[in-house]
Formats: sequence, structure tokens, C-alpha cells
Amino acid sequence: MPKGAKNIIVKMEKVNKWFDDFQALCDVDLTIFEGERIVVCGPSGSGKSTLIRCLNGLEAHQSGDISVHGTELRGDAQSVRQVRDNVGMVFQQFNLFPHLTVLENCTLAPINNGKMDAQAAYDKAMTYLKRVQIPEQADKLPGQLSGGQQQRVAIARALCMEPKLMLFDEPTSALDPEMIKEVLDTMVSLAEDGMSMICVTHELNFAKRVAHRIIFMDKGRIVEDQPPADFFKKPKSPRAKLFLEQILSH
Amino acid sequence: MELRFFEIYRSPEYLGIIFDGALTSLGLTIASGVLGFLLAFVLAAVRFWQVPLLNYISAAYIDFIRNTPLIVQLFFIAFGLPLLFGYVWPFWCHALLALTINFSGYFAEILRSGFASTQKGQLEAAAALNLSNKTIFNSIIIPQTLIKMFPSLSSQFIFLFLTTGVISEIGVEDLTHAGLYIDSRTFRSFEVFITLTALYVAFALMLKGILQFIFAKTLGRRVA
Repeated sequence: MPKGAKNIIVKMEKVNKWFDDFQALCDVDLTIFEGERIVVCGPSGSGKSTLIRCLNGLEAHQSGDISVHGTELRGDAQSVRQVRDNVGMVFQQFNLFPHLTVLENCTLAPINNGKMDAQAAYDKAMTYLKRVQIPEQADKLPGQLSGGQQQRVAIARALCMEPKLMLFDEPTSALDPEMIKEVLDTMVSLAEDGMSMICVTHELNFAKRVAHRIIFMDKGRIVEDQPPADFFKKPKSPRAKLFLEQILSH
Repeated sequence: MELRFFEIYRSPEYLGIIFDGALTSLGLTIASGVLGFLLAFVLAAVRFWQVPLLNYISAAYIDFIRNTPLIVQLFFIAFGLPLLFGYVWPFWCHALLALTINFSGYFAEILRSGFASTQKGQLEAAAALNLSNKTIFNSIIIPQTLIKMFPSLSSQFIFLFLTTGVISEIGVEDLTHAGLYIDSRTFRSFEVFITLTALYVAFALMLKGILQFIFAKTLGRRVA
């Protein structure tokens, strides 16, 4: 936990989620404080993505309680909108709007959500595009950029909504090896500014460097929840041991 | 056989008839294309948003139009409905109405499939950004559909232009009607219909060029 943090930003209690017969989340309890940086890892199909997608209402949970920044997700449109106002998300496939320029991708939500006027949205977008080091690409279309650049635009786009919490769903998994670093560097600098982050990733060096806690999931359950140093040195569960062996052996 | 094109080309009367016919064909095509597209937009939007009741009416309408011959629709509007409602319109009005209805069915189906094929990732990103349904539809789904479906919409429009010849059957003096008239006066069928063919090709290519120009100057700029 970061020093001095006491405000809870995410609270999950006994959360269950099914896709038809398949249970994706199983009695998940999780408390995250403001300013905390969490890395979620685990084998494929263990519920990592589902976990963070439940946090901004992209997936609805079926039982248990989730509250984000003080708003409880009750499955109604209003609470979902309220939560999404505070949560930014970055996707594996970037999901930029291909017909809008980089700048328009960043200003669309702030302008249309009534958060700010066009000039303020423009200023904000340029601030964050500088922050992710691609202000010179502002007038290009996403398709004209490399994967790494697109993902940095996606980060800037999410930041333009001034979120209190950022969710990353395998942000580097679709990138060429050479582009991974530029995206991770951006995320590290965001972390250094104290942003609350939950990141699903297999980049364990990144996890060691920035995470306060590592959450290891298996079959929809949170199996481990400890600081990176402990997780990597002495994982408690056999499943996490196996996972680390396999991921570190190649 | 001796070719006698000059019988047509030297006659100011025939050239005038061809010119007027071409204007009628193009005018009616463009007018019903625009009106049909607007109507199609409403039909497709109603289906996309699953507006209660209207959704089913729209689906039935689209299926009905796409599964009946244009010439039957035309006869129905020109000869059937007037008996029922007692209206007397000029022939071209019947043609405009029938073509608009016919165009709208085909365009609506293209737009509907375009709306429905918006990628899931795009909708998730829009949802995560808290965009309203209205913004998602206007700023994401519509432009992406028009970009994606432009080739289909354009070729459908050209195809429908080529089918407008059937309006000559209800007495509209279009390009096909001009050909039939001149043929009946001169019996130079080969010369008349090769001329007609060339004109339809030229106009179809011209319409295609205009559509591509408009696209390139608007949404085409938004394609990487």
C-alpha cells in the first residue's frame, strides 16, 4: 500500500460471475486503496480480464458487491455511468476509433460528455498527447501509427476523462517486442504520478518495478495477493509456483 | 445490313427526345436515390435501436420490398393504388414514389447490416469512455458504417439506376422510352439500342465517378 493511503477506491465482496455454465469469477474479495498499483496475472481463462471488466460495468456480475470510488455497481445504467466517469480503460487491441484523428479520439468523450468545451478539451488532449510523447501525431489517423503509438494514444484518450482509476487489459500483448517498452515506459511514468492502476499483464519485470501488490488468479479465484518481492520469491500456492516456473523458464 | 446511325443523329427531334429522356432518367434516379437513402436511414436506425413495433414494421417492409419485382411495385403504385385512393398524379410522380420505395428497401438492408457489424471493441471503448448512445451512434456507428458500406451502397445505386428503364412501362418518358419511341418510328433497332446501351454505360460510370468524388472529399479522408 502506498504511504498515507486510506481511501478505498475499489471494493469487491463475494463477487460471482458466470458465462452460462462457466463460472468466471468465484467469490472474489478485493480491496484496493487510492494510489495503489495492482498487477493481475494468472493462466489463460483464469478470470483476469473478467475481473477488471466487471469494475467498469463492461461485464455485469451476478452476485456480490462491487463499489468503485464510492459508487456501488447495481447493474442499473445510472450507477454504471457514474462509475465509468471515474475509470479509464486501455484494451489489448487499442480500440481507437479508426475514422477519427488522434486528437478527435481524445476530445470526443470530454466534449460529448459535457465535461468541457472544445477549447478546453483540445488543450487537455494536447497535454496528454505530450505526456505520452506523440503530440506531433495529433492530426493523423490511428491506422497511420505503429501499434505502440496507437496504444499510447489509447492511454492519452483514457486520461483525458481525468479518471481516478486506470484499468489495463493486457496492454502490451498485441504489440511487437520493440514497441512494448514505449508503452510500459508510459505506464511507469503514470504510476510515478500516483495514479491508481489495475493492470492485467504478463510483463513480470513491469510488475516487479511498479506494482504494490500482485494478484494471482486461477479458475476464477484470487489465489494469491501479495507484494511482488514475496510473490516472486515464495509463492504460496502450487499453481502460482508452476505458473512462475513456466513463464520464467522460456 | 447497312448501318444508318444518321437517321437518328441528324434528327433534332430524336436527339431532343433522347436528351429529355436522359434527364428524366437521371433526375428520377438521383431524386429517388436521395429520398430512398433518407428513408432507408430511418428504417435501418429503427431496426438497430429495436424500437418497439416500428422495428417489426421496418423489417417486414424491407423484406417485402426486396422480395417483389420492381415492375410489380411500379404497376401497383401507378395503377393499383390510384383506384383505391382516387388520386391522379403525373406519371413521373408514380415513378418517383415507386423508385424511392424500392431504393429504400435495398439501402436499408445495407445500412442495417453495416450498423450491426460495428466491431465489439469499438463499442466497448465507447462504453468505457462513457459516451451516450446518441454519441456512439452518430459519431462512431454511422460514420464507420458509411465508410465500410460505401462500395455496396454505390454499386446498389448504380444497379438501381439501370433498372429504372422499367418506368417507361407506365408511360414515363425516360431514356428507355426514348429508345423505344425512336425505334418504333425508324425501325433502326440496332442503331437505337446500341446508342441506348452506350448512354447507360456512360451515365452509370458518370454516377459512379460522382459518388466516388463525393466520398473521397468527405468520409474518404477518414480512411487511413
